[in-house]
Amino acid sequence: MLRSLLVLRQIAQRTISTASRRHFENKVPEKQKLFQEDNGIPVHLKGGVGDALLYKATMILTVGGTAYAIYQLAMASFPKKQA
Amino acid sequence: MTHQTHAYHMVNPSPWPLTGALSALLMTSGLTMWFHFNSGTLLTLGLLTNSLTMYQWWRDVVRESTFQGHHTAVVQTGLRYGMILFIMSEVFFFAGFFWAFYHSSLAPTPNLGGYWPPAGINPLNPMEVPLLNTLVLLASGVSITWAHHSLMEGNRKHSLQALLITISLGIYFTLLQTSEYFEASFTISDGIYGSTFFVATGFHGLHVMIGSTFLTICFLRQLKFHFTSKHHFGFEAAAWYWHFVDVVWLFLYISIYWWGS
Repeated sequence: MLRSLLVLRQIAQRTISTASRRHFENKVPEKQKLFQEDNGIPVHLKGGVGDALLYKATMILTVGGTAYAIYQLAMASFPKKQA
Repeated sequence: MTHQTHAYHMVNPSPWPLTGALSALLMTSGLTMWFHFNSGTLLTLGLLTNSLTMYQWWRDVVRESTFQGHHTAVVQTGLRYGMILFIMSEVFFFAGFFWAFYHSSLAPTPNLGGYWPPAGINPLNPMEVPLLNTLVLLASGVSITWAHHSLMEGNRKHSLQALLITISLGIYFTLLQTSEYFEASFTISDGIYGSTFFVATGFHGLHVMIGSTFLTICFLRQLKFHFTSKHHFGFEAAAWYWHFVDVVWLFLYISIYWWGS
């Protein structure tokens, strides 16, 4: 079982390397090192500071938006009387 | 430091299911606010948070697989089942619209004149742009197969070229179909013909756009060396989805464009 994990890791590292364009270097091994570091950080934050910022922004928009939706629901539930 | 003694993938706790569900709430209540109160704020917020969720969720799947190695054979099998079941659910989604089309067109009511296409409807000529669209999608099915074979043979240049051709054909289809929508002499509000035509072809067009996006992600991942010749399920899933989109078009073309004219 564990061996299959190790083998998969080797396969993943044996990426197609006939890179004819000099612009694109294979940065997968670097990424593998970064994301396999044993630091207890969950995968959605493990990429760095950018992850945390994007996460916070998403949460603020989503939770804030939910509050706004409930507010609109409350407003729509009690229509203003015509004068 | 504990390690698993099984080949399955126990994911880290993730906020994206919650943000995804809330974004669905914002999109639906946003539609209501737009329809009834002429306000687009909630809908925009919903679409934005939905996009953010999808981006981060799938970014994490790439991290878990390509960078962390969690996608063992059994995990990949599960993903295959999942993609197949998802595509099957989409088949049923389109089946509904085809049902609606055949229900109305096989027995046209007196209001329509008792025939199909109904009185006053000038359908698009199936031998013009719709036929071109058919050839475009069929060609894209060939190019994506070429891309897959190139990928399996380890030919980086060809796999990128073939993927690019496939994506370009998808975009070309979308542009052609958009121009057809403007050229058509009938609209969505032109009776049952308009409704069935635009809802069925409209949802298909949306799926072409989704498929093209999926393929573009695969292109970028291939550029970044994520795929190997033996392990590239993301690409296979995109290819399955793309073939599905092509098949739906064939049914649309034969039923609505050809028989229905």
